[in-house]
Amino acid sequence: MRIIFAGFGTVGQALIKVLRQDEQRIVQAYGFRPQLTTIVDSQGSCFDEAGLNIPLVLKTKEKYGTVAKYPGSGRRNDDSTRIISDSDAEVVVETTPTNFKDGEPGLSNIKTALSTGKHVVTANKGPLALAMPALLELARHRNRRLCFSGTVGGGTPFLDFAAKCMPGERIARIKGILNGTTNYILTRMENSSLTFQKALAEAQKKGYAEKDPTNDVEGFDTAAKIVIIANWILAKSFSLRDVDITGISKITPRKLRAAQALGVKVKLIGRIEESSASVRPEEIRADDPTCVPDTLNALTFSTEHAGDITLIGPGAGGERTASAIVRDLVSIRKEYAV
Amino acid sequence: MKFGGTSLSQASKMKNAAKILQKFSASNKIVAVASAIGETTDQLAAIGELAKKGDLKRARKLLSKVQASHRKIVPLIAGKAGTRELLERIEQLNSELERTVEGIAHLRELTPRSRDYLLSFGERLSTPILAETATATGLRTRPFTGAEAGITTDDNFGEAKPLVEISYHQIRQRLEPLWNRKVVPIVTGFVASTVDGSITTLGRGGSDYTAALLGAALAAEEIWIWTDVDGLMTADPRIVKDAVLLPNVSFGEALELSFFGAKMMHPRALQPAAQKKIPVRIKNSSHPSVNGTLVSASELPNGGKVVKAVSLIRDVGIVTVSGTGMMGSPGVAAKVFQTLGSNNVNVMMISQGSSEATISCVVANKEVDRAVRALQLALMGQGFVDKIAEEKDACVIAVVGSGMKGTPGVAARIFTAVARRKVNVRMVAQGSSEYNVSFVVSHTDGAEAVRAIHEEFNLGH
Repeated sequence: MRIIFAGFGTVGQALIKVLRQDEQRIVQAYGFRPQLTTIVDSQGSCFDEAGLNIPLVLKTKEKYGTVAKYPGSGRRNDDSTRIISDSDAEVVVETTPTNFKDGEPGLSNIKTALSTGKHVVTANKGPLALAMPALLELARHRNRRLCFSGTVGGGTPFLDFAAKCMPGERIARIKGILNGTTNYILTRMENSSLTFQKALAEAQKKGYAEKDPTNDVEGFDTAAKIVIIANWILAKSFSLRDVDITGISKITPRKLRAAQALGVKVKLIGRIEESSASVRPEEIRADDPTCVPDTLNALTFSTEHAGDITLIGPGAGGERTASAIVRDLVSIRKEYAV
Repeated sequence: MKFGGTSLSQASKMKNAAKILQKFSASNKIVAVASAIGETTDQLAAIGELAKKGDLKRARKLLSKVQASHRKIVPLIAGKAGTRELLERIEQLNSELERTVEGIAHLRELTPRSRDYLLSFGERLSTPILAETATATGLRTRPFTGAEAGITTDDNFGEAKPLVEISYHQIRQRLEPLWNRKVVPIVTGFVASTVDGSITTLGRGGSDYTAALLGAALAAEEIWIWTDVDGLMTADPRIVKDAVLLPNVSFGEALELSFFGAKMMHPRALQPAAQKKIPVRIKNSSHPSVNGTLVSASELPNGGKVVKAVSLIRDVGIVTVSGTGMMGSPGVAAKVFQTLGSNNVNVMMISQGSSEATISCVVANKEVDRAVRALQLALMGQGFVDKIAEEKDACVIAVVGSGMKGTPGVAARIFTAVARRKVNVRMVAQGSSEYNVSFVVSHTDGAEAVRAIHEEFNLGH
């Protein structure tokens, strides 16, 4: 399997480390040797048909911040869609930064890859949040896989659980906590009476929140995950514009304390109903299984006959997301023998 | 808004269409869809056939007619500023069209793919002309091909199927921003492209399909189809003098009516609108103030009348396959329809008695001979089928209305009314949707039967 990396940040680097570490095991168990032939990052690209030298790639990236300085084939400022469409590789792993405005550059990368007959594994929520029904249709039309296990719940298989473990059951509603950063902030605000700003600063210091926390705290990240779940599990043609979104930046410690007195907690809840979806701070009972603390994620499926089923697990993170991508690569290998 | 070929066939009609666009864009966000002018698509198809036979002389002759008809319309419609630019555009398309025809003639080959490319010129020529006409009225417009507007299809050339989610996404991405700049996008009907960018066409009723797709993608409040009739009537006014305009019909009824020959949208074209519950209005571009017919999801009764309309399709024939050996032999029916299908015979109506000894199909008159020959070859001499009979010159009468569903006695009233006029009914079928009862009578009785039903159910004034 020849692979192109579109995007080479935390997740991409974690992924090649995981692939290298587990190479023996993967070869033995699944008989496939993923071969990284091309990397495109924000500044340039590098290429080796026989497979890039991984330690050298990592060293180059660390030293110069880009693979454009990779000895021999490194080049500056390449157009990622052109590289993808010209390549003979079978799979594109798309991990460019998330962008909820127009989904770029990920959206064009994925469209180009599928249009030119390549499978896609993406950890990038932007393109899916904005155009998931379209991208799934394109993949079906081209008979290629579009995998995105890494976008929701990281290592916790929320998506596969419903698709594989509950066929035949009708899922009426889904609700959950899908963003570790905001859940951590809310937990800290409640337990230690911190203001939103203080709790955010703490989360940033611990590496839970990004420098620009907008996507997390304003609810876009949760909303994107809600879109992905609605499309994949409930077969609803939703995109980001169909989700009613409110973030947590206006919540005060006083409000949390008032809720506590009533035996409820305020959480950033993503919700999918029959024909609507929302992300907003909601009061839920402290003993509701969905009500998890810290950076944990939880997702509750309300089924018609089996009652409520809740899945709890850690959310995203470089290495966890990488493990989800490996899962996707293996499943493509099994289905298409590439 | 979609403008049909008859609504764009001359300079004056083109101007009229532009005026309609200008009027309604003042307080609405509009996307316009243009059909090919007049008979252009048929002419292009004929040119293709001639070129395929290598008859370049006649192909060229017809081609220059098409080119001239577009060329001469330009000075009549465009403002001074636009004329030269538009003429250049038209000449550019004309020479591209010429090269295409020559290519077909050289290869003596007209594949579905090259045919789609050839046919696309009709809309590609009409659209910039309509855009320029509207610009001359002071409107800001921008012409698009269907592909540029974002309509992407599979590779089934000739009758390509849109990849709707991709199309919806791209349409929103490309057309919505224009509205903010107060620009009216004008899109070629009928024409789309594959994922790789090869031109495809959407088949019959393609421009309506384009309008419905655009409307569904952009969550339009209504989709308007401008044509040369006021809307759907209770019956053909040439047959029934007091036939009246139907103010509203449901999607289900419209589907039945369009199948049975009413001059309106192709059933396939209604699908995206029906799915998103966007009402479709059929209006006459010569009488824009008439409200027309509204096709919507609601099944409004027609003033308490169970039947809404009655239509007539002439020039059909009945092919009957019979044989005592057919009883209890599975697969004969399948063989019949498979044979007809693979010989390109379109079956309009089917009836089979529960004794299974006969199967009758209604097909177009001109397809009767082909159907009979094919069926004889495929079925005779195997012991199941004794006889394949044909009967030409019949007509189908379809009685349509959602009110018929669950109302007892409708069929009795229909056939009593017909019997009173001494019309013999040859074959009957009712769709299980109960929206429609259709039956076959001799062509001399058709008009009389329509009048009888129209009167029985008080459909007129």
